[in-house]
Amino acid sequence: MAENKTQTPKESDGEVRIGVYVCHCGLNIAGSVDCEEVAKFAATLPHVVLAKDNRYTCSDQGQEQIKNDIKEHKLNRVVVASCSPRLHEPTFRKTCEEAGLNKYLFEMANIREHCSWVHLHDRKAATEKAKDLVKMAVAKAALLQPAEEIEVPIIRKALVIGGGVAGIQASLDLADTGYQVYLVEKEPSIGGMMARIDKTFPTMDCSICILAPKMSDVGHHPNIELLTNSEVTEVKGYIGNFRVKVLKKPRYVTKDCSACGECAKVCPIVAPNEFDVGLAIRHAIYTPFAQAVPSTYVIDMNLCLNKDGVIVCDKCMKACERQAIKFEMKPETVELEVGTIIVATGADVFDPSTLPHYGYGRYPNVITSLEFERLINAGGPSHGHLIRPSDMQIPKRVAFIQCVGSRSDRNGRLYCSNVCCMNTIKDSLLIKEHWPETEIYVFYVDIRAYGKGFEDLYKRARREDVKFIRGIPSEIIEDKRTRNLWLVGENTLQKELYKMNFDMVILSIGLEPRKDSEMIQRLLMLSRTQDGFFMEAHPKLRPVDAATGGIFFAGCAEAPKDIKDSVTQASAAAARAGILMAKGKVTVEAITPISYAEKCKACGLCTKVCPYNAITLDKELKRVSIIEAACGGCGTCAAECPFGALTQNHFTDEQILAQVDAVTEQEAEKKIVAFCCNWCAYAGADFAGVSRMQYPPNVRIIRTMCSGRVAPKFVERAFARGAAAVLVAGCHPGDCHYINANYHTQKRVEKLLKKMEQSGLNKERLQLLWASAAEGERFASKIREMQSIVEKVTREEIEKAKKVFEKALGGN
Amino acid sequence: MPERIKHQPLDKGEVKPPQAEIHLIKDQCKGCGFCIQFCPKKVLEESQEINARGVHPPKIVDESKCIICSFCTAVCPDFAIFVTEKSREKDVK
Repeated sequence: MAENKTQTPKESDGEVRIGVYVCHCGLNIAGSVDCEEVAKFAATLPHVVLAKDNRYTCSDQGQEQIKNDIKEHKLNRVVVASCSPRLHEPTFRKTCEEAGLNKYLFEMANIREHCSWVHLHDRKAATEKAKDLVKMAVAKAALLQPAEEIEVPIIRKALVIGGGVAGIQASLDLADTGYQVYLVEKEPSIGGMMARIDKTFPTMDCSICILAPKMSDVGHHPNIELLTNSEVTEVKGYIGNFRVKVLKKPRYVTKDCSACGECAKVCPIVAPNEFDVGLAIRHAIYTPFAQAVPSTYVIDMNLCLNKDGVIVCDKCMKACERQAIKFEMKPETVELEVGTIIVATGADVFDPSTLPHYGYGRYPNVITSLEFERLINAGGPSHGHLIRPSDMQIPKRVAFIQCVGSRSDRNGRLYCSNVCCMNTIKDSLLIKEHWPETEIYVFYVDIRAYGKGFEDLYKRARREDVKFIRGIPSEIIEDKRTRNLWLVGENTLQKELYKMNFDMVILSIGLEPRKDSEMIQRLLMLSRTQDGFFMEAHPKLRPVDAATGGIFFAGCAEAPKDIKDSVTQASAAAARAGILMAKGKVTVEAITPISYAEKCKACGLCTKVCPYNAITLDKELKRVSIIEAACGGCGTCAAECPFGALTQNHFTDEQILAQVDAVTEQEAEKKIVAFCCNWCAYAGADFAGVSRMQYPPNVRIIRTMCSGRVAPKFVERAFARGAAAVLVAGCHPGDCHYINANYHTQKRVEKLLKKMEQSGLNKERLQLLWASAAEGERFASKIREMQSIVEKVTREEIEKAKKVFEKALGGN
Repeated sequence: MPERIKHQPLDKGEVKPPQAEIHLIKDQCKGCGFCIQFCPKKVLEESQEINARGVHPPKIVDESKCIICSFCTAVCPDFAIFVTEKSREKDVK
């Protein structure tokens, strides 16, 4: 933890000696940029003592040369003009370190993705742009400061939230590795959705038979502390050092319970059992299902007659031989300290009663696939007999309707829920197994049997004469007398209408995000996708990591998935958490804020915008302290501070303003100054380069980690120095790499636009763009669009803007 | 578990709650109303009749709702109420 860090004196105190290397990258750069000329130009820049061009700077020879030059020419800053820093910055940083130069004294100019590749046919303009980009990099390099990455110790304990199959697997993996695990489950028993399913696809294993041993392993594992009937209420801290509060709701039954069930027999209160989706009854004192872990009974205080400490009915107490029932139990809050957190909160099922045309809830013989699982389960309310709720008869003709609540934004959710197709195929085979004469029809949109062994199961269902009809019914009509159901719709393969009669209809319902995922999101500072599921740090390469350090996802919390995928992801999450805990420490990139206590007015604005709660305000001492390990490195706090009391390491105000100044030194009235966030807009511009999308060469991109770093004064400075236009670009709202920092970007840009409007300036000159890393064309077309704005801007307008923002020219 | 419950439990017929027989000794009642107030199932309410002590004793609204917790017996200061269980055999006859 570093509080009130003051700026360290300049490296090697004295002369700044910059070495510039312009890479040809074969012909990738040299093809459209005159690298020799760029190198010659670089040599004329202040502080540059050496400028070279070479064919491949990233090659071993190229790197050797840099190392030699650092020693020979006493270079204390290095600039490489080549490809994107997203590609080779780590390479060159390592090179510098090997030569004894702090890696934060290295800077890169992106003259390939942002220059040569996007201006293939204009060598002159591309060369000029490359010179500008090098000039910007040199200007920043001169102000670079060495920095040390701090190390944070990691507590070797893990918290797993959610005791479904994913949470169980993750807990067991971590506990077997030797780490202490706290498994928190909201319900009275672990097991989750998998415990309620009868058989699993594609192998038709009995679900609870394969899950129960794992559940009991969790119950007995010496390294796992199981907290059921409990909820996480508060999470403080940061990677490696989370402080978690868990509310343990009372069971009113102690561990002495032997699960004999005598209490439930005498309990006079009955209610539908949630575990059986209400198809069976339970008492106020109950265990959700036979294999529950822990097996201790629990009293539902919403139903029990004994409220507020008044014991009205003591039948269960009298029946309990071991005297395990204690009505005086109180809720308690447990405080845990953990290093990593695995979120395995699972998913809810879609509620089909929101679709009136299917009549679920009104027609007794329309049931959901989850209710079906309980009916076909030997341990369920009908002891494994598939019976119609209306007359308890075994149906002769059964229909399944697919995609109920999935793949439609009008009727439910837009995404595919992944599991329902195979679940239906499995269910149809289960019916065929018990009652081979049953006629089964499956009404589908597409059958998605994509996994290992899935297609075989699908083929088997077809062989066993399950009929698949493409086209889901538009309506279900009930015959009031027989309670049979008419399905009306169009068979889209045969182009004909159908109207068919069935004894029972099963709605294959999709999965949706947990209703309370917003609470988990808020507690753990996570982000969610548009679908509402938790968002991973990278969809391909970091699929189980959350954007917040030390937090991982497993199971349906991240997206709908089947049991196998949930288990796979759980093991992956456990491994990822294990890596952190095995190492025992984590380094934090030195891009954290620096605070100047003397300028701080203790207004607390920075603490409000920090997405990670990494800044705390001490009102009495009138200063802020920064928890560097918790900091994500977005720099939003620095942009928010109105007094210049905060800045961001490696992206200081001086450095960014120096880049702005370098761009606007010459022909500013023709240029666009673009601030792009590292993760989306900058990456999108890189992608435009990789795809060779051509756009006008007058844009100069300044990289910040987040668009939230872009302080209004940067934009003002650009206009004050006569820039024609300014672009601020970041991730789409909701997709921010730093949780929600880009909302502050939007707020600041809107404020600037208002100011421009009030001062009579052309608002079009400041643009805000949301572009993801895949939206290269979006970026390119924005630049094309802005080109016409730049052309329209008149001399007078530029002068007027200069005057309006003149104040920004002053010091920092 | 957050799912909405739309169907009646299939085995609700299998659960036979004990059947109560509530005995009121009306003339012992002094009309304090404790039994009415504390009954968790709201089986009793005040009647209109006047007993020997000149007060309104309780009357039974729905005996089938009684779950024989006997809390009424416990709170009655005048030993004027008690509950017994009807045996099932009697029902069959």
